[in-house]
Amino acid sequence: MLESFKNFLNSVSSPVTIFTSAVLVFALFVTFPRQATSKPAGLAVLLLVLVFFGIGLTDEHFRTIVSTPDNVPIVGLIFLFGYFTWYAMRKAVINDRRIEKGEPTVEQAETNEKVLVFPYLIFIEFVVALAYAVMLVLWSIFLKAPLEEPANPTVSPNPSKAPWYFLGLQEMLVYFDPWIAGVLLPTFIILGLCAIPYLDRDPAGSGYYSFKGRKPVIIVYLFGFWILWILLILTGTFLRGPNWNFFGPFEVWDVHKVVPLVNVNLSELIFIKWLGVGLPKLWFLREAPGILTVLAYLVIPPAILAKTVFKNVFKKLGAVRYSILVMLLLVMVALPIKMYLRWAFNLKYLVAIPEFFFNI
Amino acid sequence: MAKPSPSLYSISKTFVWFALVSLLLLGSLIAIVLLDHHRDWKNWQKKFIALKLEKTEKELKAADEKLDKKKIQDLRLEIARTESDLKAHQSERAARRKAAAALEPRLARAKARAQDLKQFQDSYKYFFEEYRVLGDRRAADFEKKLAEIAPRLTEAKADLEDLEKESEAKKAALEAFAQKEKDLQKALDQILQEKTRVEKKIANVKPSLAKDILNAPMLDFLHPSLQIQQIALDGLEDDYHFAKTQKVDRCTTCHLAIDQKGFEDAPQPFRTHPKMDLYLGAASPHPVEKFGCTVCHSGNGHSVSFITASHTPHDEAQAKEWVKKYHWREIEKWDAKMLPIQHVQAACAKCHRSVVEVPQADKLNRGRRLAARYGCFNCHKISGFEDRWKAGPDLRRVGSKVDREWVIRWLQNPRDFRSSTRMPQIFHLSNTQSPDEKNRDDAAIEAIAVYLMKNSETVELSVPPAIGNAEKGETFVKQLGCLGCHSLPGIKGGDAAAELSGLGSKVKPEWLYAWLKNPRHYSPNTRMPNLRLSDEEAADITAYLLSNCNDPFEKSAAPKARPEAVDQMLLDSMQGTMRHADAQKMLAGMTDEEKLEALGKKSIAHQGCFACHAIKGFEDQKPIGAELSNESRKDIHQFDFGFVDIEHSRRAFIAQKLRDPRGYDKGKVKAYYEKLRMPQFHLSDEEIESLTTFVLSLTDESMPLEMQKRPDLREAGVEKGRLLVSKLNCNACHALDGKTGALRALTEDPGAAPPILDGEGAKVREKWLHEFLKNPTPIRPWLTYRMPTFGLSDEETKTLVEYFAYLAHENISYKGAEVPETSPEKIEAGKKLFGQLQCAKCHEVNADSAAMGASFLAPDLTLAKKRLKPEWVKKWIEDPQTLQEGTMMPTFFADGQTPITDVLGGDAKEQIEAIRDYLYRYEAPDKTKGETREAKIPIANQAA
Repeated sequence: MLESFKNFLNSVSSPVTIFTSAVLVFALFVTFPRQATSKPAGLAVLLLVLVFFGIGLTDEHFRTIVSTPDNVPIVGLIFLFGYFTWYAMRKAVINDRRIEKGEPTVEQAETNEKVLVFPYLIFIEFVVALAYAVMLVLWSIFLKAPLEEPANPTVSPNPSKAPWYFLGLQEMLVYFDPWIAGVLLPTFIILGLCAIPYLDRDPAGSGYYSFKGRKPVIIVYLFGFWILWILLILTGTFLRGPNWNFFGPFEVWDVHKVVPLVNVNLSELIFIKWLGVGLPKLWFLREAPGILTVLAYLVIPPAILAKTVFKNVFKKLGAVRYSILVMLLLVMVALPIKMYLRWAFNLKYLVAIPEFFFNI
Repeated sequence: MAKPSPSLYSISKTFVWFALVSLLLLGSLIAIVLLDHHRDWKNWQKKFIALKLEKTEKELKAADEKLDKKKIQDLRLEIARTESDLKAHQSERAARRKAAAALEPRLARAKARAQDLKQFQDSYKYFFEEYRVLGDRRAADFEKKLAEIAPRLTEAKADLEDLEKESEAKKAALEAFAQKEKDLQKALDQILQEKTRVEKKIANVKPSLAKDILNAPMLDFLHPSLQIQQIALDGLEDDYHFAKTQKVDRCTTCHLAIDQKGFEDAPQPFRTHPKMDLYLGAASPHPVEKFGCTVCHSGNGHSVSFITASHTPHDEAQAKEWVKKYHWREIEKWDAKMLPIQHVQAACAKCHRSVVEVPQADKLNRGRRLAARYGCFNCHKISGFEDRWKAGPDLRRVGSKVDREWVIRWLQNPRDFRSSTRMPQIFHLSNTQSPDEKNRDDAAIEAIAVYLMKNSETVELSVPPAIGNAEKGETFVKQLGCLGCHSLPGIKGGDAAAELSGLGSKVKPEWLYAWLKNPRHYSPNTRMPNLRLSDEEAADITAYLLSNCNDPFEKSAAPKARPEAVDQMLLDSMQGTMRHADAQKMLAGMTDEEKLEALGKKSIAHQGCFACHAIKGFEDQKPIGAELSNESRKDIHQFDFGFVDIEHSRRAFIAQKLRDPRGYDKGKVKAYYEKLRMPQFHLSDEEIESLTTFVLSLTDESMPLEMQKRPDLREAGVEKGRLLVSKLNCNACHALDGKTGALRALTEDPGAAPPILDGEGAKVREKWLHEFLKNPTPIRPWLTYRMPTFGLSDEETKTLVEYFAYLAHENISYKGAEVPETSPEKIEAGKKLFGQLQCAKCHEVNADSAAMGASFLAPDLTLAKKRLKPEWVKKWIEDPQTLQEGTMMPTFFADGQTPITDVLGGDAKEQIEAIRDYLYRYEAPDKTKGETREAKIPIANQAA
C-alpha cells in the first residue's frame, strides 16, 4: 500500500507535473484567497504536508536527502515561507473585508494604540534575539557539520550543486544557455527588483495589508517568488540527483541512471523536420526564424497590450516606464514559456549560434 | 495615549518569556561545554589509568614481597637509637653550630677582599701593557702599582684559605654527630629503592583532587593530565590532492600502551603492538617517532574518535560487534580508510619498492607470486612489475603439439582436462549463459583453434629410437628432478610448472620425445630447462608420461561452430570499422575456413590470449587488462559495482572481481563484445585474500626517499638475481636465500638431495660458476638429480653470478683468487695429512665409498682448484659446521687443535694451509679408475 503510493508518486513526478501542479495550486490560492486563508484550510494544508513528511521519513532514501545537514534549512524554508505567505494573505483578506464593510483597516485601528519603543519594542526584540541564539546553539549541537573527504580539484562531486539560494538559477540552466541563465536573468532579477518602487508608484494600499486593491501586482510578485524561485530551489535540492537527472521523492539517486537527451533547436525543427530542406549554410539565414520569433515576442505583445489590456497602465506610466515594465514582465514569463516549449517540443534553443557562443 | 494592546505589548508576559529563554540559553551553553568536554578519548584515558594503576599496584606488591623485612626493622631501630644519642649531645652541638656560624662574616669579608684585589691587579696589568706598547710615561706608574699589589693579593688569598679550612673543620665536627644516622638512612633507602620508585609511579598515575580540577570543564586548557597524545612526523605528509600537510597521528591518544611492553593481554585499545621488535620500538626498523601509525595502517590520523578515525572491521562479525560497542559506522566520504588487518601488509609496498619479496610480509609476497603465477602481469600493466615473463606456453608452433579438436575441448573448460591447471576458463562463464551467447562462445573456441593451427610454424620432430619402458620412465621422472617443478597424478612435486597428467590424451610421442630432448627446439623462450637426457631416457620418460590418459576428456564433445554464429560475430566485429553492407559483402566473399580464421584472430585479440601466450600475428598487440599501477588509490566511483550487492569499497570490489570476474555484468544488457573479459581463475579464498592484499599494495603515493628502502648496487644485484631465481625456480631443488628446496624436502637421504647453495658466492670462483651455469658438469657424481642446462644468456649468467656473490657479501672477480704460494715441504705435509685424515674415503667416488651411502659421499676434489676459493677452503676445513650446519664433513680441527701432532709441528693453522695447498695441486689418482667409476654409478656422466 505504502510502497505503491510511493511508486505512484515517483512515477508521476517530473519537472512538468510538478511545475504545472504548483501553478494550479498557486492559481487556486490567488483565486480563492478568502477560503485559502481560513484557519481550517491552513491547518488542513499544514496537516497534509506534515503527513507527507511523516510518511516520507519512513523511506530511507527520502530520509537521507531530507536530513542531510545542508538540506534541513530548505525543509524549514517550506514551512516558514508557506506560513508567512498564508499569514500575510490572511491579513490582507481581513483588511479587504473591513474595507468592504467601511471599517478602518487593522493597521489604521492599531495606529491609535501607540507605545514607547523602549521597553515595548526593544525588550521583545532582545528576547527574540536570545531565542535565536538558543536556536543556533541547539542547531549546532544536533546537526553536526559532516566530515567529508578532502576536496579534490580533479574530481567534481556528482551531483555538483550550487549553494541552496542559487539552486533556482542552476535549475534554469536546464532550459537556457549559461549566458542567459547565469548572467542575463540574474541581472534582470536584481534590476527588476530595484525598479519596482519606480514602476509602481501607486499609493493605494500603502501602509496596510490588502489584496483586492493590488491584486495584479501581488500575483505577479508571488508568482515570480514562489513559482520561479522557491519552487526551483526545492526542485534543485530534493529532486535533482546525479548528473542533474530528475528523481522522484522516493527514488534512489542512481549515478548510472540514463535518460535520453533528444533536444533540438528551432532551426532544425523548421528546416529539417517541417520544410525538409536541410539547414542553410549562413547562420543568419539558419537562425532567422528564431531571431524573428524572439523579436516578435519582445515587440508585438507590448504594442498590443498598450492598446488593450494595459491601456490604463500605459497612460499612467508613460512610454519609457511602460516599456521597462513590459520588458521585465516578458523576460520573467519567458522562463515558464521556454520550460513548456522544452517539455512539449524538446526545443533546445530558439536561436542557436555556436559561431558566437550565442544561444537563446 | 491609549492603553497598549495587552496581547502584543505585555511587559509581564515578555518577562516570563525572557526568563524562559534565558534558562534555555544557559542550558544550551552548559550543554555545549559538557559536550565539548566529554570525549571518548578521555574516557579511554581514564580507563587506561585505572588499568595502569592496577598493574602498578601489583608491581608494588611484588616489590614489597621481595624486601628483607627483618633487615629493615633492624635498620630502623638503629636509626632510632642514633637519634636518641644525638639528643643527648644537644648542647654541645648547639655550641659548635654557633662557632661555625660566627666564622661566616669573617669568611665573607676575606673573600670580598681577595676578589677586589684581583680586580685591581687585572686592571693595572691592562694599563701597564697598553702604555708600555704606546711608549707612554705612565707605564712606569702602573708597573710600580702592580709590583705593590702582588704581595697583598697573595696575603689575602692565604687568609681566605686559612678561614675556609677552619670553617670546614668546624662544620665537619658538627656533622660528625649526624653522620652515622645519615649512613643508616642511606642503607635503608637503598633497600627501599624499588618500592619507592613504584610508589612514585603510582602517585603520578593516581587520580587526585588537583588533577580533577585541572581536568575540569573550562579549566582544562591550563595543564590537564588527560591530554591528546600525538606524533608529528617530519617528512611524512598527508596528501589532500595538491595540498600536502604534515602527517600527525593521534592514535596513541587511546592506544596508550601500544609501544609499552607488558600490556600484551590488555583489552583493546590498550594492547601492546604484537610485533614490537619490528615496529614502534626505538631499536626496531620502524620506530614510532619516525613512522607513526597511519603510514602503514591508513585511516584518519588526526581524528580521536573511533568512527572518524576510520577504523575498518576485518569481517562482518567484527563490524556487528563494533556497531554494538562503539556505534560504529563507516565514514562513507573519507577516502583513506584504515586497512583491515588482513590486508595491512599492502602498506609495506609503499616504501619497500624494487624488491622481489618484502621481508616478513608473507601474504603480500604470496599475492605477488600468485600474480606472476596466474599471469596477472601479462594482461595488466603494473609499474615495477614490467619485467615478468609470460605465464602461458608459446603457441607459435602449437600445431605440432596438439590438434584442433584438443584445443576446442581444452578451451571449453581447461579444468575438465586438468583440475590443477593455471589456465583460466574464458568461455561459458556467468555472463555468457544464453543460448545465443553459448553458440557464440563455441564459435569463438573453434575459430581460435583454427587460427592457432593455421598460424603454427612446423617444427621438425624425430621418432624415438625405440619404444620406451614406462616403468623405467617413472624412475627417471622421480630421480632426475622433474618433481622439482612438476607434479604427477598421485606423485607430489612442485607446482611451478604444469601437472603432468593426461598427456596421453594431449600430445603425440614424437613431440614429447623431441620436447624432452630439447625444450627450446619447440619453444625458444620456455622456462623448461634441458636435462640432457639420453635417447633412451627420453624414450622411457615419453612412454611413462603418455601412459596417463584422460578418457572422459577425450570422449567429451568438441562443439562445432555454427555458421550463423560465426557470421554474426564477424559482422558485429567488422561493423566497428566498416558499414554493415560492406561487411556483408566482405563476408560473402570468404570461405568458411577463412571466416573461422578471421573470427579466431578477432577472438584472440578480444580475449587477450596473446598476453600470456606468444601467438603469431600478435607480437606488438597491447594487452587488454586495465593498468593497475595505482589501483589502491583509484577513485571509488570509478569502480562499477553494477547490480552486485556488496560493500562499496575497493577491497570488496577486488575480492569479488577475483571470485567472479564476470559477475559485475549481472543484470546488465550488453552486446557480446561489450561484456567483461577477465577470465575465471577459480581461486581459493586464501588466494583471493593474498591477491587482494597485493592489489591494495599498488600505489603511486610518493614517499620521502629517506623513508623508502633504496637498494644499493649490491642489493639491486641481489634483487635482480632473486627475480631470475624465481623465474628459473632454483628453489625447487636447492636450499637458498632462506628457502628450503622443495625437492630436498622430498628426498629422505640428505646426502642424495640437491646441494644447499647458501654461501655459494663465498665458496666458488665466479669464473667457474659462470661456466658451470652455462654448461653444468658433474661435481657430485652419485646424485641422481641432474642440474639442468637452462640455456642462460650471458646477461642472465652474469646476474646469477653477481647474485650469489653479493648474497655472500663477496666481491666479484672473474680473474679469481690466486693459487696460494707455498713450498714443496708444505705440499708434502698436505699430502701426508690428506692421507692420515682419510679425505679420499669420501671425496673419491668409487665402489667402496658408494657402498657407504650417499650421505657419506663428497664432491670430487680434482675440481677444487678450478672451483673453490682458497680462502673458503681454509674456513671450511677449519669449521665446516658454521658454514653449513649439519654437513657430514668432519670437524678435524675443533677449537683450533689438531689431532695430528707430528706434522708441521702440530700447528693447526699451518696444517690447514698445507691441506689446502695440496688440494690446489691435487690430481685424480688414476684416470682409468675414473672410467670404471662411470660404469658403476648409473648417471655419473651427468652433472648433479
